[in-house]
Amino acid sequence: METEKNKKDDEAEGLGLPRIEAKRYLQGSGVEYVSYGGEHHLPLIMNLVDQELSEPYSIFTYRYFVYLWPQLSFLAFHEGKCVGTVVCKMGEHQNTLRGYIAMLVVLKPYRGRGIATELVTRAIRVMMESGCEEVTLEAEVTNKGALALYGRLGFIRAKRLFRYYLNGVDAFRLKLLFPVQRHTNISR
Amino acid sequence: MAEEKIGDTDVQIPVNPTIPSGDQSVWADVSPLLQLACKDLHDGELIHGENFNLFAAMSALEIMDPKMDSGIVSTYYSVDEAIEKGAAPVPLSFDRTIDIQCTIDIMDHLLACEATWHKGHSLAQTVFSCVYLLRPDRTSSHALLHSYCMVVRATCNALVSAVSDVRTNEEEDLFTLTYGLPLKGDGDEKCLSVLHAIDETISRQLRACKAPSTKRRVLEDIEPLQTNPDLEEGFCKAVLCRLRFRKHFYHVLMCMRRPQGKGFELARKHITSCLSELDSMLKLEEFLRSNNTCGTVRDATEEATTASGCRPIGFDSSLNSRLSAPTPPRAIKLLYWKEAVEYFKKLLNDLQVICSYTLDPVLEVVLRFVVGFQKLHPDLVARAYLQLLLVQDGKLYGRDPVFAVIGKASLLPDVIKNHDLQKNEAVVQLGQLVTNLLRILCTNAAWQRRKLGKILQEWRIIHVQLEMAFKKEFGDTLSTSNDENVAVKICNQILIWVEEQTYWIATRFLTLGFELELYSPSDYCMVYWYIYVILIKLAEKTHVKMMRSNDNGRRKGKKKRDSKDAKDYQIPPAVVLFQCQIYLAEGLVMMLAALRNEYNVFQSLGPFNTEHERFLQHFELLQKACLPDHISYFSFKETTNHARLSTLSMYNCFKDAQRIAKELRITYSNDPEKLNELRRIEQVAEHNVVALNLVCRLGTLDPSLKIYFEFSHHPYFASAVVKRS
Ligand SMILES: CC(C)(COP(=O)(O)OP(=O)(O)OC[C@H]1O[C@@H](n2cnc3c(N)ncnc32)[C@H](O)[C@@H]1OP(=O)(O)O)[C@@H](O)C(=O)NCCC(=O)NCCS
Repeated sequence: METEKNKKDDEAEGLGLPRIEAKRYLQGSGVEYVSYGGEHHLPLIMNLVDQELSEPYSIFTYRYFVYLWPQLSFLAFHEGKCVGTVVCKMGEHQNTLRGYIAMLVVLKPYRGRGIATELVTRAIRVMMESGCEEVTLEAEVTNKGALALYGRLGFIRAKRLFRYYLNGVDAFRLKLLFPVQRHTNISR
Repeated sequence: MAEEKIGDTDVQIPVNPTIPSGDQSVWADVSPLLQLACKDLHDGELIHGENFNLFAAMSALEIMDPKMDSGIVSTYYSVDEAIEKGAAPVPLSFDRTIDIQCTIDIMDHLLACEATWHKGHSLAQTVFSCVYLLRPDRTSSHALLHSYCMVVRATCNALVSAVSDVRTNEEEDLFTLTYGLPLKGDGDEKCLSVLHAIDETISRQLRACKAPSTKRRVLEDIEPLQTNPDLEEGFCKAVLCRLRFRKHFYHVLMCMRRPQGKGFELARKHITSCLSELDSMLKLEEFLRSNNTCGTVRDATEEATTASGCRPIGFDSSLNSRLSAPTPPRAIKLLYWKEAVEYFKKLLNDLQVICSYTLDPVLEVVLRFVVGFQKLHPDLVARAYLQLLLVQDGKLYGRDPVFAVIGKASLLPDVIKNHDLQKNEAVVQLGQLVTNLLRILCTNAAWQRRKLGKILQEWRIIHVQLEMAFKKEFGDTLSTSNDENVAVKICNQILIWVEEQTYWIATRFLTLGFELELYSPSDYCMVYWYIYVILIKLAEKTHVKMMRSNDNGRRKGKKKRDSKDAKDYQIPPAVVLFQCQIYLAEGLVMMLAALRNEYNVFQSLGPFNTEHERFLQHFELLQKACLPDHISYFSFKETTNHARLSTLSMYNCFKDAQRIAKELRITYSNDPEKLNELRRIEQVAEHNVVALNLVCRLGTLDPSLKIYFEFSHHPYFASAVVKRS
């Protein structure tokens, strides 16, 4: 029932003007995005994730990601302070190269300004350029913010995973499929 | 002695003899090794071995981190230590009133644990957090507690075996993990007779305390349950309803395991008794709360795991934390006692539905029953018992051979039951697909949808295989339709049914997506379009199947009224109902398409891909299985590209759906389920007619108008709502 109520707010469409994408990026307001640059970034990432996500990760979990795919992790800085991060990987999956977004966090006071969107967008772009065919991740079905964010980027909810998290909440597996060069296929 | 080298130092690691060694391994105390390693390693560094990579390192646990180290969160080192430190005394108190109060608390808390277990937590962290359960022999001097523990263990054991027998899915197998817990105490199988004896004793105590004082003398030799005469009646009753609930519940489980639903009648009686005992428990809550041991009368017993509101003695949720390794156990939140009672009521009602089912031999009825049952959102236990009923020994209800079920579903006469065809390899495989389908339909909706998506391909392949097998057996006669050959007819009828069933699965796959919230409003247009396309195929196959079977029947009836039949021919109601749903789906497709085309709403414009990719992703499994043939994103675009609101108002599918639904109501006047569906369809159609009108009239005039879709009338056909913002 609660979802019905939320639907109205989230998913109602105005019939008036065509919707203009209102990207509220912190243009010129001093948020700087950098790719993972080495061991000195590690405590910053760990700190952020520890604060905002419930899953306990050991330092080795972070290492696994940032050592093997440093080009897929990004940090957002505001006035020298790290306020957001995204951590990803990619690899073979059933004969295709697939990207995976493992962690995404933006500090509370900095949310709603497009920082997460920019972080994820950068990571996805690198995945696409590296030849990935799709990107996946899991998100709690109750995480409205993350679901809206990924929905906007073109992710679909491919599957529901029953009680995926230890807290008993279901998850959605989200997937973003990149377009293939169909024309070249047809001409061959 | 194991030897390890760190730097230049050889370290002797003493093998620890107190822990028994396994086949290939011994346990050793690594403290000295770690101590040495600490000098060399800095925080966060790791020893990089050949067979130990960064991926493996992720499974590292940080010792002494309470989020990860299951060892340090334990209150006691072992069950024995817990007992030694007095965590679970027997008796609970030498004051017999307190002893009874505490015993009732334990019973209640166990019920809360049990419900929490059913809801997806491990047995080790819930029911078996009870020290008394873990050491069955310790309670033998306390008859009441002992008997209760016995029946709880026996019940858990019965449930574990039921759920294991249905071989459920990995998502829910936590239920059956017993980690070597003492699930079978000596003598647990006698729990019912033990319970019975105690029930008799307490019943006598209850009678004694209620008897008028003149009669009391006769009963004087009966020792009361506890020492406070004012509370005797209340405590006797509170204990009795708890014991009786357990007894009847155990009976329910036993009855339901009898083959072919033979125990259902008796099970229904026990379910009714269970429900009434639960009600008695609720009625006595007030009494227990106002006479509790802990003194504090909480306002909200809603938030306690016991009726009295007190914390129970003898539980420690961290006791088994080492058992449930390797995943570090988290603290779990138990259901409150009230919630647990509600859970059991729900479970019993679900079981009641199963036990009231008529064991209909017609597959279509079975499928409708299962789908209807799933609408109640039954939990694992109820779903497991349904599956146990449906598929036993590879037969439907353990009674009807699958080939007979297939024959009936294909509308073939009963005489084919023993036809040689059932020995055909492809037909045997088809039988397996049918039982597999029934199993899948009993699983949770999330898992079910994924499985249904996967088996679509198998159903497609079996159709091809059957076709080939039949051809091989009967040659080309298969395609000459007016051949009188019975075997050929059987084959054709089975083939068309396989197609029909495949489209039925596809429909279920698509519609479950709504229940699971997998579609966003910008996907609705293509989803309804796909449902529309599949429903047309489903209707077509059903229609052909029915017509052919009529043909066969008629010919047998020796061409009585040939010419008359042709004139009076009526489309079967089942097909008309599909037609009705097809109109509804089409209406939604066109309405959404027109809104998208004219108002630019419900679009999905991500930076990385297009609607085409979303289409491919949503319908990948259907497309792979060619369901249906020659359907692609471009067919979808072709249908929807030119949709305009102005044309919709002239040709309105919703009105057609409404009209047909009204007409069908007479045909189905004796079928409440179908009537319900018709009523829902009418409501959706009606709302959408109104919404469409509003948008057509005001859309361009009133820019503050907002539109959204909700599922208030039908589980998967959306109703449009138009509002001013
Ligand atoms: C999810 C999270 C990373 C979003 O960070 P953010 O910087 O606020 O996100 P953005 O500003 O880029 O949001 C982009 C879009 O996402 C959607 N969105 C984000 N947060 C939302 C919220 N709380 N409610 C509804 N929509 C939300 C909006 O559509 C938003 O677009 P808009 O601002 O144009 O309306 C942040 O909330 C967070 O750190 N949450 C805790 C950690 C977490 O849940 N991570 C995701 C695990 S999968």
